[in-house]
Amino acid sequence: MLAALALSANVYAQEESTLDIGRFAVAGYGDVTFVDAKNENSSIESRFVPIFLFQLSEKIHIESELEFSIGENGETVVEMEYADIHYFLNDNTTITAGKFLLPFGQFGPNLHPSWINKLPAVPGIYGHGGNGSLTPLIPVMSDKGVNVRNVFKVGQGKLFTDFYMVSGPREEAVVVGGAGVPGGHGSIPEVAFEAAKGDNNGKQAYGGRVAYAFLPSVEVGYSFYSGAYSDDGKLNYSANAIDVNWITSFATVRGEIINTETDFIDPLDGEQDLFKRGGWYLQGSWQMRQLGKEVFNPVELIVRYSELNDALAGKRWTLGVDYWLEASAALKFAYENTKLEDGDIDNRIFVQLAFGF
Amino acid sequence: MKKIKLITLAWLLMTHFFAMPVSSNEKVSKVAEGAKLYSENCARCHNARPASDYTKREWSVVMPHMREKAHMTGTETLAVEAFLDSTLTADVKNSRAADVAPQPTRSAEELIAQFGCQGCHLINGEGGNLGPTLDGVVQAKGKSFVKKKLKNPKFNNAASAMPQFPMTSLEIDEIVEFLGQK
Repeated sequence: MLAALALSANVYAQEESTLDIGRFAVAGYGDVTFVDAKNENSSIESRFVPIFLFQLSEKIHIESELEFSIGENGETVVEMEYADIHYFLNDNTTITAGKFLLPFGQFGPNLHPSWINKLPAVPGIYGHGGNGSLTPLIPVMSDKGVNVRNVFKVGQGKLFTDFYMVSGPREEAVVVGGAGVPGGHGSIPEVAFEAAKGDNNGKQAYGGRVAYAFLPSVEVGYSFYSGAYSDDGKLNYSANAIDVNWITSFATVRGEIINTETDFIDPLDGEQDLFKRGGWYLQGSWQMRQLGKEVFNPVELIVRYSELNDALAGKRWTLGVDYWLEASAALKFAYENTKLEDGDIDNRIFVQLAFGF
Repeated sequence: MKKIKLITLAWLLMTHFFAMPVSSNEKVSKVAEGAKLYSENCARCHNARPASDYTKREWSVVMPHMREKAHMTGTETLAVEAFLDSTLTADVKNSRAADVAPQPTRSAEELIAQFGCQGCHLINGEGGNLGPTLDGVVQAKGKSFVKKKLKNPKFNNAASAMPQFPMTSLEIDEIVEFLGQK
């Protein structure tokens, strides 16, 4: 059926391109980051993240992003962020298969590369295994499966839809929160999102994102994700998000609200219960070239507020100044202030050189 | 599972047979349309990068990747490629053409259309907003500034997304004279 659709489809592909046709290209990004925190040793971290792009034919495109960094014992750590194949079914529809960044919200699929993320740290609701002193809601998710993407012209704007089926989350032995988690929960099983070989329960997760873009200024999206994570397939994890993106030639405002629900077995009574947790962030940026002084042309100011509610709550302000060396390379300075629900305060200073290539 | 397969199949059929290609305004050239799409779509996530960051061959492989990232249709992708093609020379440095002709062979309007200036700038009140308006720019900044910007877009801002176009000095003069009347 797919083959018939593809063959009958109008060709809007490379054979009509005005460019010289290539087969292979390398893009990507990298960064060097200095972090100084009051209760931790200051540190310098470095990453190199090449993206390998192959054009097999006018309808088939392959991409893979690898992240190289340095591990705790000095070893080189290599992570495969994604490796997938796009099949351009027709002008509007693309089928993607492999390990891909899940279209959930905007930060994960589009904004997380360090030269695109205007601040040296990720929003407080994102991360895995900790984001400074905050316990984030969700990592930047990538998983193995299939995604169908569509783009439609609707009114003056464009409607984007993504629907996917992936291996889904798994159960992790680590306990988050412990007995101190509000709401009477004894312990909350952490949900593992990293794609791994095989599947612990044979049940896939489903999700998608529907967004409308009032081009060129505004994009609003709704994302959802749901999948069984326990080994017996009876406990479910679900998340939904609303994201907003407002862009002008010199300023941006971006924000996301995420709510998650995790089934768990309460160790006190052995009954199944539901653990809810949510959070949001809002970020604004402004380019100082608006002042009309040449010296400020490459300078951009950024402010972000992140908040995590319910269990393990916290609030964070991040203030940043970027000095753009090139359109895709910036020297970033940021100050981060985090207040946890127990009254602890965590202040951090970041200096980062980020580049895209 | 059967229900999901049926829904997926129905969705694919619907998107195939009822999808409306994002139409480009026939009055606007493909290059100008591509320039507009370039400024609108790239800047949704990151600073628009100068076209000269990649060669034509590299762009032909990068664009399918960006088609997915930016939710562009195939038709839109081809328009952006037409803009990139008009902007870039075979020389990766995108050097300006040598001043061999005694007179520019194209009018300012033709040059502006060819290089897709209105993809990012307002001229006569029409165009994109990634860059500043060019209406009144010569009066505000002076001929010397505008010429310098066309010859080396990064001279006053290293992060400028404006590409260095392969224009001759005479063509630059032609455009500056034209903009001076706006």
